[in-house]
Parts: sequence; structure tokens; C-alpha cells
Amino acid sequence: MDLTPLAAGLAIGLGALGPGIGLGLGVSKAMEALGRNPEASGALFVPYVLGLALTEAVAIYALVIGLLILFT
Amino acid sequence: MSDEAAEPGQHPTQSKPLFQIGPVAVSKMLAAAVVVLAGLLALAVWLTPAESEEHSESLIHVAIKGEALFHLGPIAVTNSMIGTLIATVVLASLAFWASRNSAVVPGRLQGFLEFPLDFLGGVIKAQHPTRWRAILPAIITIFLLVLVANYVGLLPGVGTIGVNVVEDGHEAVAPLIRPASADLNFTLALALIAFVLFVSWGIRANGLRGYLKETFVANPPYMTPLMTPIHIVSELSRIISLSMRLFGNIFAGEILLAVMLALTFAVVPALFLGLEAIFGAVQALVFALLTLTYITLATAGHGGGHDEPHDTHAHDADDVALRAAAH
Repeated sequence: MDLTPLAAGLAIGLGALGPGIGLGLGVSKAMEALGRNPEASGALFVPYVLGLALTEAVAIYALVIGLLILFT
Repeated sequence: MSDEAAEPGQHPTQSKPLFQIGPVAVSKMLAAAVVVLAGLLALAVWLTPAESEEHSESLIHVAIKGEALFHLGPIAVTNSMIGTLIATVVLASLAFWASRNSAVVPGRLQGFLEFPLDFLGGVIKAQHPTRWRAILPAIITIFLLVLVANYVGLLPGVGTIGVNVVEDGHEAVAPLIRPASADLNFTLALALIAFVLFVSWGIRANGLRGYLKETFVANPPYMTPLMTPIHIVSELSRIISLSMRLFGNIFAGEILLAVMLALTFAVVPALFLGLEAIFGAVQALVFALLTLTYITLATAGHGGGHDEPHDTHAHDADDVALRAAAH
């Protein structure tokens, strides 16, 4: 039995758990800050996007590992 | 819901429920939404081609690297190079148009073209009040190139129209055009350019001695054996993370679109096209902003006081120069 697809699925599935929680935390805090101080949206935007990108990068690593398992 | 039914005059703005299913009052909007969704679903099911047994195994064709279309001497011309060429031609012709037909009061296309310049220009100026003029062209070039390269993948026909090529001994269909960002070669090249950019900015701001000291000597010098390898690895991993982030996002987006086209038929892939349009812009912005952040970190060394004596008047002059560059 070839378990390669299972390995790829586990790689991205488990690898998306942490970044998913992290992104949720980041967005919730940003929304909270925005709700408290709507004027800060301009100042918040760049650090917000950068933080999301850095968090999401972990999931992308898992995705790349999954693709490598599947296609090489 | 039940007390609303008991006091019907209480909420005059709320739409009157059509009928009730148990405790749920069904309003006109909800009923219309359900009907429309059911219709779309039925349409999609009706239009979906019947699954044939021999094709269900390989629903989509995924190639992790760009396929060579033909050879130009020793260079294999891949389909992602064609995608890069398209992005370059689009950008160059837009730049050509903008340099010829620019007005003081921007028209629609000109306003559209000036928007990234204004937005990123503001961000860069906020972080580098003195040397934003030298940093801005590189950052905005990266942003625009990545943006257009991402959007090439959303054009109809890209990834679906292909030619037959012989690869690894057997014949396969290679798409004629592959979006450049879905090829690791392109993103790795961009990440290397960004690396050279922020290292050279670090050297330029702190001097070669200052940069080497910053990089290779930790702050309490006795920590150097521990910290320096970590520092070097973290500098080099920026290349990997920059390139992998862009590649992974856009490549995964392409696979997502292909899977959605294969699984569903009518309306569903269009939603994901919209999603990919957002992701393409966000990833281009992220690549540009991360490059800017790395430049900021590299130039922020403690010795960076040489070109400070610009005052607010000089900033005003810079602002005028940005307007002039935009027009």
C-alpha cells in the first residue's frame, strides 16, 4: 500500500493547525485594536499584513513539504 | 423570534416573515437566498460532466516545475519564462503609456497606476525619511512585477491551453503559459535580488566595517560563538522564506483553481478566481513590504547618523519630487 498521499495530507493538515490558530489570534487582536481605536487603521495595516504573512509562511512551508513528498 | 411574532409592531424596519418553519421565521430575503443557492447548486450538478472511470485517477495534471517548450541553443525556454515575458511586456507598455500620456489631473488609468506608487511611497517615506528616494524604485518595481506576474495566472487560457512536449521519455501536455510566480526559479531570483538589496543597503548605511561587525560580532562579544551562526542562518533563511512564500501561495492557488475546475463546473471556480485575485495582491504587497522591512533592519544600525540633517523643508521638496515622478 502506498502511503505517500497520506503523508502529504498529514504534512499540510497538521502543518496548517498552528498557523491557523496563530492567524486567528493575530486577526482577533487586530480587530480588537481597530474597534478600540478606529483611527489607527492606517498605522496598523502594514504591521498587520506583515505579521499575517510571517505566520502564514509556516503553513506554506508545510505545503511545500507536502508538495515535495507528493511530486518528487 | 417568538416575541417578535407576539408584538408585530415592535420592529418596523425588519422585513415581515413570509411563513414559519417551527420556531424559524423565514423572511423574503432568506427564502430568495435559499432559492438562488439551490438553483446554482442544481446548475453546477447538471453541468458537471459524468465521471469516467479511466480519467478519475488523474483528475488534474500538476507539474511542480516549469516545462521546457523548446530549446534556444543551450537554454531551455520554459512556459514560466513566457509568463514572465508577458508580465514584463504588460508593465513596460503601461510604463510607456504612462510616461507619454500623463496629466496633472490623473485620468482613470493614470489614477489606477498611481495608487501603488502613492501607497507604497507613503510607507517607504514613513520608514526612511532621508533616503526613501533611493529605496522607492526597487520596492515598487518588485511590487509591480510580482503583482502582474501573479495576475498572469488568472488570465483565461493560462494553464489550460497547452502543447505536446516529450518529457522524461513520455509525451505530456505542457501549458503554453505558466504564471511566473508559480515557478520557484522566478521567486528565488527575486528573493536573491532582495537579499543583495538589503545587504548592500546595510553596507551603504553602516559602512563595510560596521556591517560586518553588526553581522558577525554579537553585542556582548563573548556571546559571538553562540549568536553568529544563528544570525547567519536567519539572514540566509530570509531568501528561502521570501521565495517559498510567494511560490507556495501562487502555486497552491493554481492547483486550487485546477481542482475546483475539475470537481465543480459552473459558478464555483469563479469565486476562487476572486479569492486568488486578493491573494495575488496581498502576496505582492507582502514581498515588497518584507523587502522594505529587511532594508530597514539592515540600515537601522547604531551608526546611521550621517545623512540625518535634512529638515522638514527638505521633506516637502521630496514630496514635490514624488509628485513629479508620479506625473
